[in-house]
Amino acid sequence: MNAASEAPRRNASRLVLGGLGLLFGGGLGYLVGRLIKTGVIDASRLGWSDNLAVVIAACLIAMGLIIGLASFSRKAVGRMIDRTGAQLATPAQASFYREQAVVMFLAGILMAAPVVTTASFEAIPMVVASIIMLAILAIFLIQTVYNLTVWHRSDELIRRVTSETGAVCFWVLQGLLFLWAAAEKLGLAPPLTAWDIMTVLMGTYLVVASIMSARRGLS
Amino acid sequence: MKNRLKILRAERNWSQADLADRLEVSRQTVNAIETGKYDPSLPLAFRIGRLFEQPIETIFDDEAA
Repeated sequence: MNAASEAPRRNASRLVLGGLGLLFGGGLGYLVGRLIKTGVIDASRLGWSDNLAVVIAACLIAMGLIIGLASFSRKAVGRMIDRTGAQLATPAQASFYREQAVVMFLAGILMAAPVVTTASFEAIPMVVASIIMLAILAIFLIQTVYNLTVWHRSDELIRRVTSETGAVCFWVLQGLLFLWAAAEKLGLAPPLTAWDIMTVLMGTYLVVASIMSARRGLS
Repeated sequence: MKNRLKILRAERNWSQADLADRLEVSRQTVNAIETGKYDPSLPLAFRIGRLFEQPIETIFDDEAA
């Protein structure tokens, strides 16, 4: 396949992905809007990190759903592996992508659950908080199993990208965390919660992972 | 690091997927090595050398980096 015939295919794939993203984003936006309007969710109880967490969660859930659905088509997976789509993916490759989709989807659920719960109750009853926490723990364990499975099935390129992402995130975030902690100690910056730090970490991880993947030709 | 992987593969009329299967890595890894976006680990470089029956230094050129 030459470059001239490859370009329209690539544009078509981008259009389909963009369309699916818009559909998901629009649907989610409408749903959240309705919930706020009907008073089910009180957005005023949410801080900046809650809003950021919801955006990250929505991205993860959308990516998980799109990749998960696409993984049932060996042709679509073949196109994700190689943009020219010259070859069908093997069943093993398709299941690998499905496992990655599960990891992303569950990560999105994990990030959204505490925020949605906070927004739904003025004061969260202990029973509800305990049930949500148990559910989070269960999902976290399942996600960890899938995460380890993906790591085990990855080849050295994906493991290298994962390791590099972890290293960059550590060096960037530990520096920033130190500076913030110092400023906070000196009374120059407001205190951060564990949720604030976790949200920034997840957001940074996603951005760095995208950059690292692109550098290695994985995007 | 530059390499002759694409040439060696083409000489055998193998696709990237064929080579990936033989090396037990993903197609993306073969593509990343061929395009110079990724330098393989030493064990993988040895597997590549053995597969093409050539010393590593005739396939990879570290001075071209």
